[in-house]
Amino acid sequence: MDNSVLAKFKLVKGPIYSHCFSADRTILAITCDTKCYIYRMQGANSPPKLHVTLENHDKTVTAVDISIHGRIVTCSQDRNAYVWEPLSDGTYKPTLVLLRINRAATAVSWAPNGYKFAVGSSARIVAVCYYEQENNWWVSKHIKKPIKSTINTLSWHSNGVLLATGGTDGYMRVFSGFIKGLDTKEAVTNSPWGEKFPFGSLIREFYQGSYINDVEWRSNLEKIAYVAQDGSLNVADYQGNVQSVDAPEGLPYRTVVWVDEASILCAGYTRHPVLFTENNGTWGFSKDFNKTSEGIAKSINSLDISADDDETANPTFGISALKKFKELDLKGSVSASVKESAHLNAIVDLKVFNENNGKVSQVSSCGLDGEIVLYNL
Amino acid sequence: MEDWRRIDIDAFDPEARLRPEDLVPNYGTTITLSELQPKISQLRSLASSGDMSSAIQLATSEPPYSADEQTKHQYFLAVLEALAQTRQTDMAKVVKSLDRAQKDVLVKYIYKGMSLPEGKKQGGILLAWFENLTQDSGVNPIVHYISDRRTV
Repeated sequence: MDNSVLAKFKLVKGPIYSHCFSADRTILAITCDTKCYIYRMQGANSPPKLHVTLENHDKTVTAVDISIHGRIVTCSQDRNAYVWEPLSDGTYKPTLVLLRINRAATAVSWAPNGYKFAVGSSARIVAVCYYEQENNWWVSKHIKKPIKSTINTLSWHSNGVLLATGGTDGYMRVFSGFIKGLDTKEAVTNSPWGEKFPFGSLIREFYQGSYINDVEWRSNLEKIAYVAQDGSLNVADYQGNVQSVDAPEGLPYRTVVWVDEASILCAGYTRHPVLFTENNGTWGFSKDFNKTSEGIAKSINSLDISADDDETANPTFGISALKKFKELDLKGSVSASVKESAHLNAIVDLKVFNENNGKVSQVSSCGLDGEIVLYNL
Repeated sequence: MEDWRRIDIDAFDPEARLRPEDLVPNYGTTITLSELQPKISQLRSLASSGDMSSAIQLATSEPPYSADEQTKHQYFLAVLEALAQTRQTDMAKVVKSLDRAQKDVLVKYIYKGMSLPEGKKQGGILLAWFENLTQDSGVNPIVHYISDRRTV
């Protein structure tokens, strides 16, 4: 086994759909059920300490993000978003954001400058929200066309104008989220993506055909990585070129992060992160982290099923589950020798935990098993 | 209390609703049966001459995604014939000769065959193809099949 797992925290019983760290990585926010829990990090050796519970939502909280100023935004299936302003005594003051949508909010992301955020929703709308001083109110502006279905994921370019979205209609689209008075034209001068960026205009679209699960900008390269439900990782550029790589194990990825300019980390239903790298302009599989191949190989050898059984030829087909039930049946317990990956269920979100000069050295993940895992790359 | 969970909220939405055809990719043109006929004849002649590798490669290249159901069915019958004429011992070799896109198409025809009465008669052969395909490329083509909206 490799030593890629730095720490593993079992925080809640339910699935964690989204997690996020503050800019200095001292605060961890996770979503679980209708609540958002705020933890203080205590280093890799002791579990994070629960600090505050944010519980204004009355339906499942789908996403959380923390701005560079420490403001937290949560969005939920109750069609609302809240901005949580940190107060000096450590508590948070909630402000309701009227998104004006009639379906669940599914994804939220702060713009890099921390003065606006975008919310994706099942109502085929991306709401870009910003604070209006005169009214003391968060205003939301809608991007509607030509979105045909639920938005799953959002990512801002570092210029704070270009917004990449991915959804269940199978399109990865780049929109302009330019807000007058908040953004300046200088941010997008000489952008290779276009000349003019009026709010809500469609800059590019890439057709993938299957659900887009996650998108992520690499702003300095002007490239976008996205993963789809067909098990592919794709890298798109402003000229409209797309490079596609298949997951070696076939199962789709739910989340993607750029590690450096020539490597991308993906994770999803295989429960461990997978690294892809670019060599001579071609993207390809590089290595697995925390993969449990040893455990699987051992369990096959120790199984007394006939060798010509189809499943031995393809060990990924549920053999570990079969062994587990067989042992439970015979001995009443599962032998400890089976090594399992750090995550026991699908990984749904990867975040950068440690980064130096544009190179990521540590990432964190959250999964449907209610765990947060830190990985060394 | 009224069962509000069952209210069709889209009916109250004045804006256009999501229709099934919105999710199908825009092919531009529609291929007709007469345009497809030469390919079907070529496929039949390759299959009858026993060159199964070429036949399956031809069958799984550029399938008529944009055609109507009837045309698709005619093409499917020709593909099924070719699949059924392949000897089980040759299947692994044929599967190896296909590229990624062709394997994705092959799995579509296997599943289509399993769902139609014509294909059910060849059920054993389709299962043998399926076995060879998964041994060659794992679950990849199946995951592609599940998430692909282009149907054959």
